[in-house]
Amino acid sequence: MATREVLNVKGLSAGYGPLRVLHDLDLVVYSGERVGLVGLNGHGKSTLFLAIAGLTGWQRGSIRLNGHEVGGTRSQGPGRFTHRVVKLGLALMPQGDEIFTGLTVEEHLDSGAFTPRAWRERAQRKRRVLEIFPPLEKLMATAVGRLSGGERRMVSLGRGLMADASLFLVDEPSLGLAPKISKGVVDALMSVELGDAAMVIAEQNVSLLEGRVNRLIGMHAGKLKGEAAVGLAAQTVREA
Amino acid sequence: MFDKVWKSAAWKNPQDVWSSAGARSKAALHPVGRLRWYYKWPAHSSNLWRLRYPFTRRNVLRLRGVYNPKSLRAEKTIVDRRPVYWVLGLAALAAIAPFVESSTLLAAGAIFGIYAAINLCWMLIVGTAGIFSLASPAVVGAAAYGSAYLSIHYGLPWWALPFVGSGFGLIFGTLIALPATRLDGFYYALLTLGINELCRVYVVQSKLFGSATGGLYGADSYFPESWSENHQLLLGFYACMLLMIGALFLYRFVNGTRLGRILRAAPEKKEAFAEATGINYRAARIRVFIISSIALGFIGGFYAAHFRGASPSLFSFDVVLLMLAMIVIGGLGRAEGAVVGTLIVIFLEKYFLEWGPMRLILIGFIMMMTVLFLRNGLFGTKLQFRAWRNKKKSEFRSTRSEKGGEMLPEEATETADKDQIYFRRFDKMQRDYLKGLIDDDVIEEHRRRPLGQHSEQLERLLVYFRRAGQVDKYAITMTKPFKEYRIVALSGQRGVAPRLVDDKIYTSENEAYHAVFLRRVQDLLES
Amino acid sequence: MDWSYILLSALTLASIYGLLAIGISITWSSVGMVNMAYGLTFAVAGYGAWGVAELMVDVDPIITGVAVVAAGIGTGALAGVLVCLMTFIPIHDKPNFPVRGLIATLALSLMGTQILLWIFGPRVKTLPPVFGEWQAEFGAIVLTADKAGALVSSILLLAVTLTWLKSSRRGLEIRAMMMNPHGAAIVGIGVRRTGIYVMALTGALAGLAAVLLCQTYFVSPFSGLTPMIKGVSVALCGGLGSVSGALIAAAILGLNESLTSAYLGGQYVLITQFALIIIILLIRPRGIAGMLDKAREA
Repeated sequence: MATREVLNVKGLSAGYGPLRVLHDLDLVVYSGERVGLVGLNGHGKSTLFLAIAGLTGWQRGSIRLNGHEVGGTRSQGPGRFTHRVVKLGLALMPQGDEIFTGLTVEEHLDSGAFTPRAWRERAQRKRRVLEIFPPLEKLMATAVGRLSGGERRMVSLGRGLMADASLFLVDEPSLGLAPKISKGVVDALMSVELGDAAMVIAEQNVSLLEGRVNRLIGMHAGKLKGEAAVGLAAQTVREA
Repeated sequence: MFDKVWKSAAWKNPQDVWSSAGARSKAALHPVGRLRWYYKWPAHSSNLWRLRYPFTRRNVLRLRGVYNPKSLRAEKTIVDRRPVYWVLGLAALAAIAPFVESSTLLAAGAIFGIYAAINLCWMLIVGTAGIFSLASPAVVGAAAYGSAYLSIHYGLPWWALPFVGSGFGLIFGTLIALPATRLDGFYYALLTLGINELCRVYVVQSKLFGSATGGLYGADSYFPESWSENHQLLLGFYACMLLMIGALFLYRFVNGTRLGRILRAAPEKKEAFAEATGINYRAARIRVFIISSIALGFIGGFYAAHFRGASPSLFSFDVVLLMLAMIVIGGLGRAEGAVVGTLIVIFLEKYFLEWGPMRLILIGFIMMMTVLFLRNGLFGTKLQFRAWRNKKKSEFRSTRSEKGGEMLPEEATETADKDQIYFRRFDKMQRDYLKGLIDDDVIEEHRRRPLGQHSEQLERLLVYFRRAGQVDKYAITMTKPFKEYRIVALSGQRGVAPRLVDDKIYTSENEAYHAVFLRRVQDLLES
Repeated sequence: MDWSYILLSALTLASIYGLLAIGISITWSSVGMVNMAYGLTFAVAGYGAWGVAELMVDVDPIITGVAVVAAGIGTGALAGVLVCLMTFIPIHDKPNFPVRGLIATLALSLMGTQILLWIFGPRVKTLPPVFGEWQAEFGAIVLTADKAGALVSSILLLAVTLTWLKSSRRGLEIRAMMMNPHGAAIVGIGVRRTGIYVMALTGALAGLAAVLLCQTYFVSPFSGLTPMIKGVSVALCGGLGSVSGALIAAAILGLNESLTSAYLGGQYVLITQFALIIIILLIRPRGIAGMLDKAREA
């Protein structure tokens, strides 16, 4: 399989107001790979994801998603261009779920299929998501606000998987869940057929990801550590 | 031998570092944080003169004693200059009035006084208490109608009207304060808007309140009949100014007391924090609401006495909008905002009468632009500009990376001793120059003869090393006389012993000297 | 006073109030702004309908009726988009947006009504009867043309709007934004574009309401004020942001209005209405449906 650069981040700095969270960060993600992003609280994992989606306070540096430049210098209007980034093939499964409490699970999954192609194929996509998260089958007509934390996480992840995306950013899938459930959620994420897409999973709990992703990148104080090297990444992808 | 060492290294002119052509630092040196040289106000601390409000211990002016950092003279400075501006502005208004020829302007001035007073009381509700009530004009209207009615039908004299109005204000204010205990935010704003409309429709339709004559007129007035029209206008103007000053004092009083502090501790959406510390913010809000309703009633009674009655326009949506424009243009939550906003709007509205609807469009436009571009009205621009500038600055700074030893701008602004900025830069340039002098020959020369006369390069290096501060400066200690020497680092603090740097034991003094030299050279190269 | 008449007028009023209140409610909950320029939208739509009616001389009355209704809806939607462009787009991501949005729309309505006054003058305009001049009798009930038309067309438009909201993709977008604007942005819903859709939709609702109400009242620069205040109070009573609550509140207040004007007299309508609203809000501070769904915290 020919590997392609799904995401290419170069010299990305981002932050909120006077606070700078990311420091000149470079990251390349290739198609078909699963990348684990591990690091402690407050070291910029979520900010990296938000910066890719254009949701931070300000940012500088190049972000290329499928060859389209979505970064650049921006200092106001967080979220103003997010929908365009999403159209270019980004699916962000945010920390804290950001679910729509009043919608039913089915409507929720529909809302994830935002691009025209995904909307046309939403029935198929829903079936695929239900294969990954079987417990949602019974809950399709329930309002999301009535679900438990684990179910909500499934809905949030399922919403992300509905998208016609080439890059899935999963932020802390195990946050706030019981260990058993969080393991199940991570298992489900691992079972997703990526095809040409790529997935980046941010986690604090390294043991959940160890040995199950193509490479693990550490994040410390707004900088990447560990196996971020480009050549190495290409190699690991070939082995996988 | 000495000659050989001297010639071996290419000699560099140390002056080059300082000449503009050879300057090593390319970064521009901005003058950061100039010292204040100008003179402020004499005699801090000798006899700190204070002006207090009578019978209280409140200061009219907030003063602070400071030292001029440049001249080192003791001075005092006014922390909050607003009272000075208030006095100057109001005195100017009062002084100009007798010379104003135009009667429209004088009448507009009187209306300005009344509306400014209303807006100040309204600002207490909206800004201080944080209840977004749009019914405050309705309280004024109700009080004006009530007192005018009593005056017409029961012959109440003019001086009683404001007090009767206060009573009406209390009743009406309590009535509309009832829903405020339960509702919050927009629910209350929209409800009060409806109440306003309700009052208007009631007054327009009710025969009791002069639906036929378009208002209730004929109340007793404070204008002496015998005075000329111009004098009456002047009297009206001064009376209204007095009313406004009264409202200003009320504003100051509520905000300056415990009540105001309680409310500042419980701003909207942060009530829970205040409640957790034991603040009963609800009671405080209602109290402010009722206090300002009484004041609004007083103003309503005054209104009836001033205009000899009341008109339904007091309740109209457009008047509410205009009054909202007044407080919004100036800035919510500020007395000066309420007064200056009122001044602008009343001037546009009453002086350019011949413009027709155009002037209201203009007012609406100003209001719109204020809301769209200013965070908190005209008087919030300073803060907003600073916030914007700081944001831009920090964004810019945060993208800059460290440069060896020199101070970054953000560090420079925070350093009190500005000499440090220049010293650090000098030091960096000197270190850059000295690094270029180090080579094997110099080290060899020092190894051979640590003390005594040296070549120029070595001498310069040694002078730099010896000049360093006492903190962590290397020194030699003799552990066994003339047999064992070790390297220590001085603590730089009296009474704190030096610490050993490593375990190495040197057998001769020269060897130890050279080891210290090597350490220093290494530190220099690493810096 | 017979009950059928009261019920019928209550129903008519309720349907018109429902149109107004749902417009305000949807605007508040999806774009997070209390649209005080709703009255302006109403007046502009009235003038649009009037302008088209002026153009339609010597045309078949049915075509005129359709054209006038369409013009009202169209100009209403256009005015809604204008309001959105002028007040929502510039400040929707700035601090303190809800209060500033409220004030901006108030400023816009101040400006807009004065501009209308400037252009059209203070004289009121009348719309031609768009539903013809017939009446039908069902036993004791007499159904006049304007009432029947108002009832049918408003229920029709409401039903269309609600099904559209419920089933279409744009409707899903709008509802998602009502629930969680930040989440909506992450899913890929453009906040600004959805804002324009919402305002166009609510503007269209206001436009229809304008045409319907102007069958009995007149078109004037300030004619939007009373309907807006009624719409706002109905929306408030139903709980801001709730469609079902607004419908229930519209029914209750419509009944109240027709009962009051039948038994007490027309001038007491506002008083009883506000007394009712205050009582309801004192019992349930978030309106009738405020507790049913927490669509959006204020």
